Amino acid sequence: MLSSIIQISLGAILINNFIFSQFLGCCPFLGCSNKVDTAVGMGLAVVFVMGLASAICWVINEYILVALHLEFLQTLAFILVIAALVQFVEMFLKKMVPSLYSALGIFLPLITTNCAVLGVVLLNVQNNYNFIESLVYGITGGIGFLLAIVLFASVRERVEFAEYPECFRGFSICLVSAALVALAFMGFSGMAIPV
Amino acid sequence: MNRKKQFTEGLITNNPVLVQQIGMCATMAITTTLFNGVGMGLSVLIILTCCNVVISAIRKIIPGEIRLAIFVVVIAGFVTIVDMLLKAFVPALSEALGVFIPLIVVNCIIIGRAEAFCQKMPVKDSFFDGIFQGVGYTLVLIAMCVIRELLGAGRFGGGLIDVANGFRFTLDGTGAGIQIFPESYGASIMSLPFGGFLTLGFLIAAMQYALKKSEDKKKAKAEAKSDEKEAQE
Amino acid sequence: MNKILRLALVLFLVSAVVAGVLGVVNELTYPVIDAQKQAKTAAAFASVLKAERFDEIEFNNPDFPTVLTVHAADGGDTGYVVTSIFSGAQGNITLAVGVDSAGKCSGISVIEHAETSGLGANAASTGEVGVNFRAQFVGQDESIALSNAGGSIDALTGATITSRAITEAVATSIRAVKSLG
Repeated sequence: MLSSIIQISLGAILINNFIFSQFLGCCPFLGCSNKVDTAVGMGLAVVFVMGLASAICWVINEYILVALHLEFLQTLAFILVIAALVQFVEMFLKKMVPSLYSALGIFLPLITTNCAVLGVVLLNVQNNYNFIESLVYGITGGIGFLLAIVLFASVRERVEFAEYPECFRGFSICLVSAALVALAFMGFSGMAIPV
Repeated sequence: MNRKKQFTEGLITNNPVLVQQIGMCATMAITTTLFNGVGMGLSVLIILTCCNVVISAIRKIIPGEIRLAIFVVVIAGFVTIVDMLLKAFVPALSEALGVFIPLIVVNCIIIGRAEAFCQKMPVKDSFFDGIFQGVGYTLVLIAMCVIRELLGAGRFGGGLIDVANGFRFTLDGTGAGIQIFPESYGASIMSLPFGGFLTLGFLIAAMQYALKKSEDKKKAKAEAKSDEKEAQE
Repeated sequence: MNKILRLALVLFLVSAVVAGVLGVVNELTYPVIDAQKQAKTAAAFASVLKAERFDEIEFNNPDFPTVLTVHAADGGDTGYVVTSIFSGAQGNITLAVGVDSAGKCSGISVIEHAETSGLGANAASTGEVGVNFRAQFVGQDESIALSNAGGSIDALTGATITSRAITEAVATSIRAVKSLG
């Protein structure tokens, strides 16, 4: 059990990083990485929502969809759960933890359409993960996203001062820099996980 | 509404990926062979057109407060239908694209078009908008696939074209493609995530360059015209 | 309050209609998908071991938790086909391994996987890379290993984990057949 959890965590954070090897969550990754502060906020919000969504969707899948043989409704059910969850978390934070809300609040609505969240839930089902494994995969997948977006935001802050052809302005130069960071992450792909 | 203008917008001046810069996850993830690219592009085209039509048809009875939730439900419905049909009739494609088929639900292109276009426009315009935007998306995917496959594996049309027994299209993803130079000479890094980011970055840059050039030309023309007028006066 | 109820009702109605449509489509496509899966398994068996017929035999050895089924080819005269499920780099891989009467691997076929397209997914691809990768396993016995671990199997580029998992699964399958005696 412990070894499978270590394997899942290392895999999700480094070896199969959600951004740099699975391309899940690229839109917010490119949209919210112009400053390290915003990147940290977005990353933390994603960790939070991915963990919660993994846990809740696992329960719904196991005890409602699979029990009633409604597996074909998975995509529909999961996206509705995620949308409702994000709404709920937003309302809860606004009322109960205003300081956290002011830090994460503006990122929450964006997360509904973050494919990393729906992706992690679908992958949990595809991989037949149990409750603990799903939760771990959700949280560590989010940490992988946080790591990627914070690293990339620091790269981007430097790119701003660099000179490059004008037609590369905007997303274009970001993608090229992201390619180089992805190259660095490839170094992890040969990493062996002791089983 | 001007169809010609809508057509150029979808394909070039307001291309979903290269200009609006949305829906990039799948664009970078699955564009390793032409088979994947064409399959994904057509799936999105079909889903986008269906969603556009349905959302535009019910736009007057949707309460504004929950319109996003209803859009998502409609989109998820069509995505699941396409997912099931692919699993049943083109299993090779559904396997190659894997989780990226259900993830079309959160592809910003579809919900973006619903929000920006279909909730205000009549069914007919929305239908053509879906087709043109879908074709624009497919063309970008094809460009990505062709570049990455050629540089990465020295091949064209992997999975889709078979030349072993005469030229034919293979819809089950078994075609070997046309080998342009030996696979071992290719930079296989282009089929890895690095290649995805890099190719899309350069494509967007090329698009920005081309758009700027044509804009400059238009401006120069307009200036020349006004100069002429002044001279005549 | 009335308004909230009305909104909830509209959303519920839309969801119900969509779910209903999906149910109908599911009814129509389910048999086709099921037939596809069975045809695929049959094709996988035929590609790993040449035999007239395959009969499932009982296999409940707790030493081999990853083994799903064991099929005897021609009553065990030609060999056995073992299917096993294990975790690859991204998700579970279902693999069919043919083991001939001499206890050597006669071929492997990936039935289901969720590996990264262009990397680990090459293990299942019908292209040159996939065919060459799978051909390496033919004739190997249970001492099989990747070349970086002293064996003779070259890993797929950028997919060491997938390659290692498959290599281990082949060794396990051969051992499972040997445990039959």
